[in-house]
Amino acid sequence: MIELQGITKIYKMGSQTLEALRGVSLKIGKGEFISIMGPSGSGKSTLMNIVGCLDTPTGGRYFLDGKNVAGLTFDQLAAVRNRKIGFVFQNFNLLPYSTAWENIELPMLFDGKNHRKRKERVTELLQAVGLYDWREHRPSELSGGQQQRIALARSLANDPPILLADEPTGNLDSKSGQEIMDILMRLWKEGRTIVMVTHNDEIAAKSQRVIRLFDGQVVPERTA
Amino acid sequence: MNATLPRFFWNEYRKRRKKTALITFALFWGTLSILLLMSFGSGITTQFKVAFSGLGETLIMVYGGQTSLPFEGLAKGRRIQLYPEDIDYLKERIPEIGRIVPESYTYLQVSANGKEINRNIHGTTDEFSLLRTQIPQMGGRFLDADDVAQGRKVAFIGWQVAKDLFGGAEVVGREIVINRIPFTVIGVLKEKTQNSMYNGPDAEQIYLPINAYRQIDNSRRLNQIHIQPREASQSKLIESRVRTLLGRKYRFSPDDTYAVSFWNTIENAQESEAIFKGIETFLGLVGALTLLIGAVGVTNLMYAVAKERTKEIGIKLAIGARRRVIVQQFLLETLFIFAKGTFWGFVTAFNIVHLIRLIPVSYDSIGIQSYLLRPEFSLQIFLTNMVIVGILVFLSGIFPALRAAKSDPIESLRYE
Ligand SMILES: Nc1ncnc2c1ncn2[C@@H]1O[C@H](COP(=O)(O)OP(=O)(O)OP(=O)(O)O)[C@@H](O)[C@H]1O
Ligand SMILES: [Mg+2]
Repeated sequence: MIELQGITKIYKMGSQTLEALRGVSLKIGKGEFISIMGPSGSGKSTLMNIVGCLDTPTGGRYFLDGKNVAGLTFDQLAAVRNRKIGFVFQNFNLLPYSTAWENIELPMLFDGKNHRKRKERVTELLQAVGLYDWREHRPSELSGGQQQRIALARSLANDPPILLADEPTGNLDSKSGQEIMDILMRLWKEGRTIVMVTHNDEIAAKSQRVIRLFDGQVVPERTA
Repeated sequence: MNATLPRFFWNEYRKRRKKTALITFALFWGTLSILLLMSFGSGITTQFKVAFSGLGETLIMVYGGQTSLPFEGLAKGRRIQLYPEDIDYLKERIPEIGRIVPESYTYLQVSANGKEINRNIHGTTDEFSLLRTQIPQMGGRFLDADDVAQGRKVAFIGWQVAKDLFGGAEVVGREIVINRIPFTVIGVLKEKTQNSMYNGPDAEQIYLPINAYRQIDNSRRLNQIHIQPREASQSKLIESRVRTLLGRKYRFSPDDTYAVSFWNTIENAQESEAIFKGIETFLGLVGALTLLIGAVGVTNLMYAVAKERTKEIGIKLAIGARRRVIVQQFLLETLFIFAKGTFWGFVTAFNIVHLIRLIPVSYDSIGIQSYLLRPEFSLQIFLTNMVIVGILVFLSGIFPALRAAKSDPIESLRYE
């Protein structure tokens, strides 16, 4: 489903260059639940952003469902992000002026779904994350855990087969983190492919497979 | 674009309204101040032109003088005076003359209605009113050809004279006495603005048919001759012909510019034209500078808001907004803010201008109010202003938005 071949990412800052990824190759199959671990600065977020089509690699090839992502236009990539990949950020990235309801509804609006469909789906998602009563609140009026649940609901709006989460519990207390993990486990069991970055071994232990990054490279599993 | 997106755009605009209120206000204020500035400027220019044209149109006035050059054995310093015969003498010899009108005047006591005042009394002909815009008030008239030919004892008086002698009462048909000779008032000059004059304001003058005037002043001397050229372009030619012909008659050199003197309103008109141009250029410059300051302000605000929105654009891109949606939203929002600000600026300026114009202006005196209370609203100024401000606003806003909508979403997301 996801196949990376020798992905590199080089950041240029003035005269300095920084190799955040130095040839990452990996395959992730449909329905897998994968954790990505590694020390800070090892390139986990960089990798996730590339997989999530938020960023473009400097080198290497990325096949999504057998299609080379490099060949997609800006708007085709937008469509991939809209329908195929849900993304959960460490810092939520909710629209500050919009209510919980509106935030969740937005991806469907961009997909051109009609009012009835949107209403049904937002209601369903709000109930699934247990925040239906908070639908008219803005992000600033919600706790971190609540915000992340809204963000999670938003990422699921168009029912994407892949869910990417970059340290989704990183900014949360353990109880809220646990709630997020419970939802993720449920989503995986429903058949979604889940890739999650985490620093927490306990959380990583719940996944099927752990990919370790070190200094922009995948650490071979034997030594992991 | 599907139908739900505009509503979403509208919602987002409303949420952000407080943040953009400053831009809306800046646009409102800029539009208002430029429109008012230009309206008042244009009004002042127009009033200025009206006031200048109070002194007839193209007109040459000829006065006597003193010779400054010796001529054919005659010493310099001789006095040259004009006489009634000069009218026909010049008219017969200079075909370029359209109208020629004599004028004599003297300062005398006038009594009527038990009051006595001193005023300038003029003797002239009926054509005077054609050269010097003497419009009578309702119910009266200026001197006519018969008055002049028969030397009728009638008088045309300024509105101030009428007020001073008779108060507000009906004046036409009443009698005024000058040098013990009674004259019947046949008309009163209508009030007008005038800032170009040679003998005190028109409001204060009294006009008699020249032959009747002779009975109160028997000097026969003309104070001046008014000439209206057939064509304005011939005024210089007429001047030199008049000087040559009078020189032949009264024996002075055609090069002697002091023997007779001229006052040429055509030259003056050219001069005032230059003044108007000056005023207009000045106003245009002030307007342009105001516009520039306003535009810099608005551009700055717009840019700040657009940058602030970069992260939001990043979020929208991350959850699948196409580029078109981002740009459309931005354009619509900018258009709306722009339209709202300039619309209210326009409406406010329009109303202020028209309210001010409702204030009645008295032309009794040459007052500042006739200049300040007659602003002129110009749609052209408004449109020019709109186009320039509009372009600046869109350029200042569109670049950050376009840049955000072109790069990887992560670039915008990182933006704090
Ligand atoms: N936009 C950028 N410009 C320059 N360097 C960057 C940029 N983004 C990331 N980097 C660098 O690339 C390297 C990898 O960053 P990345 O965010 O992928 O690490 P990470 O593994 O997610 O770390 P953390 O656990 O702290 O989130 C780091 O050295 C980081 O400083
Ligand atoms: Mg990271």
